[in-house]
Amino acid sequence: MDEQPSKLSVLTGFHAGYFRITMSLSSQALLWKTLMAYSSSASSISYIPTSIRDIAHHLHSTLFLLFWSISLAVLTSLSLLYLLRCVLRFESVKKEFTHHVGANYLFAPSISWLLLLESSPLDLLEISKLLYVALWLVFSLPAVGLEVKIYGQWFTKGKRFLASVANPTSQISVIANMVVARGAAEMDCKELALWVFSFGFAHYVVLFVTLYQRFNDGKMVPAELSPVFFLFFATPSFASLAWSSLSVDGDGGGNVMGSKMLFFLSLFLFGCLIARPALFKQSMEKFDVAWWAYSFPLSALAMGSVQYARDVRDPFADNLMLVLLVVSVGVTFVLMIYTVLNAGKIIPHGGTDNDVDGDGDVDVYVVQ
Amino acid sequence: MENSNSNQNQIFPDDLPPLLKKIKTKPVSGFDMMMGSAKEKDGSIGNNLNIPLDFRGSKINNNNNNNNGTCHSISMSMPSSPSGLYYDRTRRFALSNNQVFSNGKSNLSNVSCAGDAAIASGGTTTSCHMFHSQPMRVGNDAAEINNVHDYQHQQISSSSRFGETGGTPKDKRFDPFKTFSGRLERQLSNLRGRPQQEPVPADADVGDGEIEILPVDRYFDALEGPELDTLKASEVSVLPEDQTWPFLLRFPISSFGICLGVGSQAILWKKLATSSSMSFLDVSLNVNLVLWYIAVALFSIVLSIYALKVVFYFEAVRREYYHPVRVNFFFAPWITCLFLALGLPPSIAVNLHPVSWYVLMSPILCLELKIYGQWMSGGQRRLSKVANPSNHLSIVGNFVGALLGASMGLKEGPIFFFAIGLAHYTVLFVTLYQRLPTNESLPKELHPVFFLFVAAPSVACTAWAQIHGDFDYGSRIPFFIALFLYFSLAVRINFFRGFKFSLAWWAYTFPMTGASIATIRYSMEVTNCVTQSLSIALSVISTLTVTALLATTIIHAFVLNDLFPNDISIAITETKQKMGKKRSSLKSSSSDDLDLHAAITVNILGHHLRV
Repeated sequence: MDEQPSKLSVLTGFHAGYFRITMSLSSQALLWKTLMAYSSSASSISYIPTSIRDIAHHLHSTLFLLFWSISLAVLTSLSLLYLLRCVLRFESVKKEFTHHVGANYLFAPSISWLLLLESSPLDLLEISKLLYVALWLVFSLPAVGLEVKIYGQWFTKGKRFLASVANPTSQISVIANMVVARGAAEMDCKELALWVFSFGFAHYVVLFVTLYQRFNDGKMVPAELSPVFFLFFATPSFASLAWSSLSVDGDGGGNVMGSKMLFFLSLFLFGCLIARPALFKQSMEKFDVAWWAYSFPLSALAMGSVQYARDVRDPFADNLMLVLLVVSVGVTFVLMIYTVLNAGKIIPHGGTDNDVDGDGDVDVYVVQ
Repeated sequence: MENSNSNQNQIFPDDLPPLLKKIKTKPVSGFDMMMGSAKEKDGSIGNNLNIPLDFRGSKINNNNNNNNGTCHSISMSMPSSPSGLYYDRTRRFALSNNQVFSNGKSNLSNVSCAGDAAIASGGTTTSCHMFHSQPMRVGNDAAEINNVHDYQHQQISSSSRFGETGGTPKDKRFDPFKTFSGRLERQLSNLRGRPQQEPVPADADVGDGEIEILPVDRYFDALEGPELDTLKASEVSVLPEDQTWPFLLRFPISSFGICLGVGSQAILWKKLATSSSMSFLDVSLNVNLVLWYIAVALFSIVLSIYALKVVFYFEAVRREYYHPVRVNFFFAPWITCLFLALGLPPSIAVNLHPVSWYVLMSPILCLELKIYGQWMSGGQRRLSKVANPSNHLSIVGNFVGALLGASMGLKEGPIFFFAIGLAHYTVLFVTLYQRLPTNESLPKELHPVFFLFVAAPSVACTAWAQIHGDFDYGSRIPFFIALFLYFSLAVRINFFRGFKFSLAWWAYTFPMTGASIATIRYSMEVTNCVTQSLSIALSVISTLTVTALLATTIIHAFVLNDLFPNDISIAITETKQKMGKKRSSLKSSSSDDLDLHAAITVNILGHHLRV
């Protein structure tokens, strides 16, 4: 009986924001996989001798397998936990759905599963296409359904239209779109991919303009959540990846241009953000799950740079790729270690209705 | 007393009343005398103490003859300029210390006002007519008293200059706008060999912290007009409005608009001379050469003047940077450099080294990182609040850079800037079209600034054509958008009347020229009568506009002499001011109303009296 309350209180506190961890881990796994594919196929980075590259490759694949397994384990446990929460604490889930920040994180499980699927070391696509497609459908359909609901709300629903709810986390819905499109393109369903990409991109333009205008400045995202600003450059990176996998067998000209331009945009926005460290100062005071929001966009940017280096065989592009890789891997590992050491701080406890985390502050995912 | 009789006289150094010459002050035991220390420091100090009197009853005693120890007392008149308020303060301060002073030793180093003391106490406790301020210690105190003397000397001489010549005094009112509040200028004049007569007053009420970052709301509250350059009726300016300010202070950054206008003309004439579809006109390349040289000359002149302003009036430059319209003109110098590189006459050089492109684009990149970052995350300078048509100047730089890079043969860099420019242009375009209710700076009536709308699409289309190699759909679409905007503004030409001319208008001519250049490029692709005549028509219009603007500028410069009016928009107060508060002392007070002075003095004393 003693365990029952504590377990349930964990469920109460466990909100979808925890899936940031899994998003970061899966995107990191996908990054490694893309990198492996790139370094084995290309003859770039020529200043590293072949023998070292072979060793590195082997090391890389073992590490990658380990990392992927860890990610799978974490994602499975978190998903199960969230399923339990849906079953036992449905009211909390409903509350999340109506909150302007929490609703967007409901895309996070789908994104994580899709990314993990794409990065699987088993090369599922070759082994069993049916299984791959089935899994892809299982993970994409909830995301697309949620999107239809949310995008519809943006311009029709009385209280929750875009001008009043737009905040940087709204970009997660667009990211979900792009990941779905990329998955479809990898499966050779080009038309489906194009369809998903186009309505995602249209909504991205609208969202981009709205967020830049900052009509609702200051009311949307509390200072502790400022790491979500990094999402500004995650979205163009994912769009760039989706577009390049869509146009992979087109003529080199215009299509590569599109993904290049999106990658450059994300690079510029990244520069803008790191030139403003004061923006993040308040959120760095206390360790929080929100810190994991740093790692996911960095992995996306690194993936975009790998793609870019592949398209443009340029020493500058290679060096850029290396730098971004180091940054992204470094940040992820630091976050992993920090989380393991400070696990107690972020494990959700029960708490009052307003303080779902139990960490003493008013939790942002609960509608007041 | 005898001395009171001399109160009404104007006393000058060479003209002491005979009575005073005979009377010597008797040194009183227990008082420390300034044993010749003043004499060593500044032998002329005795002379300088002879000041014109006013009816307030200050007296002068000049005891140069006294060799035992120069007992001075310095009494000050109150000249009718605000600077006089400074030593009125010291005077009163000394007055309050007189009581202590008269009882014995004192280590005060301030100057007392004998006249007031005489009036106040009715009779002195010492046999010395005047009170003296005597330093006990040499060193700091003596230096300070010397400083005070020097300072008062300066004030006196400046006030006497004011009285005699009636011209502008060495105005400390412009100090807040000078670099380091004027200290840099003093140091520089020190270096030039002029001895520094005027130390910083100990507690000047214009310190470094005075001019802080003005919140952008302040600019919107205080200014109005399409370029946010007219002061609202309810506001006061920090600097005197009825005087002509120093030239550097009046030189706005929008002067770089001239370089933009002329530079774009140079590019236009180069394109007219070199385009295949325009070859029937037989335009000589010399036009381009001449225009290019003029543009280079103009740019160097404007740049050097503005560099001087940055060195000497850095605070004014900062205020321009925080102005929501003027900040966009900070891109103008770099865009001009890009124009000059684009319009380079073939006779001078055909190919520029790619490194020069990186060098030219790096200041633009840094500025953009700062300003777009502000749009994205800055609290008070977010786009929904500050968007105005001049923001197009921040966006155009991207496209011009892309065009230049692509003409030089670079590949990735131009695409980078094109992508950034395109993304932010979309945001700006939507925001300006929306005319959000939170947006206060968009003018209700049409103003030449609206021509900037045409700039970005026309340059973008030329840039894309250069990057891509041919004028395909990606270029034609922005080109047609630019043409549409141009025509929709041109048919409303009547609504552009009635605005006050300003130098910023030059910046609005380059979109017209850009549209002409884009049309020429289009006519190279699609060559027929319509496109060719359109290009000729647009080129003629833009050249005529530039010529008309040149004529207007010359008229304003030489005939009307108001090409550089007082730049009110940088002189707004930090908070809404009411008359009578301390800042009113900074307004030019040409009145001789001493009651007002007294009231202000009391105010200032309340704020600044320090022990």
